[in-house]
Amino acid sequence: MTDASLSRRDILRSGTIAAGLGWLGFLDPTFTFAAQGDDEELVPFLNMPRSRPGILDWETLDSWLTPDDQVFSVSHYGNPKVDPDEYRLEITGLVDRPVSLTLDDIRAMPKVDQLMTLECAGNGASKGFMGAIYNSRWTGTPLAPLLKECGVKDEAIEAVFIGTDRKEETLRKGTKRETTFEVPFGRSLPVEDAMQPELLLAYERNGEPIRPENGAPLRLIVPGCYGIANVKWLKRIELRDRRYMGRYMARDYVTVRAERRGDEVEFVETSVLKMNLKSIVARVTRLPAVDGMVPVKAYGAVWNDGTPIERVEVRVDDGEWQPATIDAEPYSKYCWRFFSIDLGKLSPEKHTLVSRAIDADGRIQPTAEDDEIALKRTYWEAYQQWPREIDLSEA
Amino acid sequence: MPAYCLRPLAATLLLLALTSVRLSAAEPVAGDVSADLATISGTVTYIADPKRPWRYSRYYVKSRKDGALAEAVVCLKGRSLKGYAKSEKPGQHKVDQENFRFVPETLAIRAGDTVLFTNSDGAVHNVMTGDGIDPFNVNMAQGGRHEVLFRRAGGTRRPIRIGCVFHSAMRCWVYVFDHPFFAVTGEDGTFRFAGVPPGEYELQMVHPAGDLVWSRDVTLTAGGQLEVDIPVSPDQLEKGTR
Repeated sequence: MTDASLSRRDILRSGTIAAGLGWLGFLDPTFTFAAQGDDEELVPFLNMPRSRPGILDWETLDSWLTPDDQVFSVSHYGNPKVDPDEYRLEITGLVDRPVSLTLDDIRAMPKVDQLMTLECAGNGASKGFMGAIYNSRWTGTPLAPLLKECGVKDEAIEAVFIGTDRKEETLRKGTKRETTFEVPFGRSLPVEDAMQPELLLAYERNGEPIRPENGAPLRLIVPGCYGIANVKWLKRIELRDRRYMGRYMARDYVTVRAERRGDEVEFVETSVLKMNLKSIVARVTRLPAVDGMVPVKAYGAVWNDGTPIERVEVRVDDGEWQPATIDAEPYSKYCWRFFSIDLGKLSPEKHTLVSRAIDADGRIQPTAEDDEIALKRTYWEAYQQWPREIDLSEA
Repeated sequence: MPAYCLRPLAATLLLLALTSVRLSAAEPVAGDVSADLATISGTVTYIADPKRPWRYSRYYVKSRKDGALAEAVVCLKGRSLKGYAKSEKPGQHKVDQENFRFVPETLAIRAGDTVLFTNSDGAVHNVMTGDGIDPFNVNMAQGGRHEVLFRRAGGTRRPIRIGCVFHSAMRCWVYVFDHPFFAVTGEDGTFRFAGVPPGEYELQMVHPAGDLVWSRDVTLTAGGQLEVDIPVSPDQLEKGTR
């Protein structure tokens, strides 16, 4: 059991529903969204570049579980080739009983599914990089029981997850103290976080072996956290008593943002980890004009770190925020949810549509002009509202 | 008459003279409608298959009713076109980087033509390729320009695939030919080659963004006008051409 809010049956049911949506999409080249009528016609966005294979195609989003051809991959130290027959996962450092496990050893352990939306921390930083997100059913064995079995020593404060990918890093470049060294990719979590029941050592995505570029043969899955935390090509888990400061923990994937302190602003650097509250209008459809006005619907997705989502609202031009309907199913705590809204009849001209999400803690997805986005200097965590431009004039 | 008025006139006369030399030497050019020459035209249409949807067809098929396919490269291939006279005035083409796209994405040119790449986006881009005999990799700051000479023809088999290292979704294909009988279809899907020497050819169609490949043998007779429609469907899908 990987998700406290879901039973195994729920997970299987979610998977079944997702497969059903995929089937609908397969049958119909117009890519029927849940709640979308057959006669609705796609209204292309004016301010978006064309979509391509290898990244999510928002305008034709049709499947709750993302098909392989729309799954992005980002690597930082190249794509290593790992021979599954030679593969070993080591759990070392501050543990009573270090282990070295083959893939068969891991496959023989309790097998569970974890449904999760995985988003790149840089997704949304520009309109050329908006589809670096996908939803999956990951299959593997839970990490926590394995760590318990190894006996994590009391002095351990962090679990460091080391990948097979390696590269040279240079510090203090151009100074007398310049130093170059080769390091593997790594990310860490506090021991308490690493022991959460949702974390998985995954070897399958959507029932198939994980693809090489997505971390085969074994990948760490940390639900609710940006892609960078989900270490690919996992080779070693080290329990340590000092904070790990690898490049992608301490120097990169660091959000630099100014915060207001009265009349002053002060810059703060924080580590990128938990996914932020975010929604996006994925697709807009129309029907033929009636009395010169165009019936329009919008469909989209909303996701975050697992905090319950209260509502999604959509606004046309500078009008009032209107509540969208969030689909009750498919549902899983760490997965995106689809929403839709009937916007009524709009005038046959150009319009701007935008959505915003509000969570149970009252957090509201900000605009690009709000402080938390406008005062951010780095492009990580680009969770601002994304206005979509459309043209409803008759061709 | 001032000298600056004479120059364009002289250039026009020279161009006319060259054109007449070309015609008298029976070296036809596209658009030549001499009675000894042939014309071939047609329309490329995409026939959708509900069981094998082409997700990105929305960019290239504007009307599902007629299925006219835009941005397809259509050309002739034949022995008689080998050694075809080089273009006397190499073409100059433009590809802009706009809204995180190459515009146009598919370009067909003659060997010896140049392409000026520009960046009118608000982001830093790049133009790079490992294809052809002159690979290049150039960063493009906002307002950046980079001109490339395409010296060698690769036909439909060896297009120059161009990308932006910063934005992998940005793609561009440049098809280089050593004759003038090629076209990139517009939204109406049509193509037309006039002034073609009679003979046997292979009529080829490729759609790089859709991985679609089609070809058919055609025989063109002196003064003949051949209409060939090109219906393509997922059956013409050829992986690996992108």
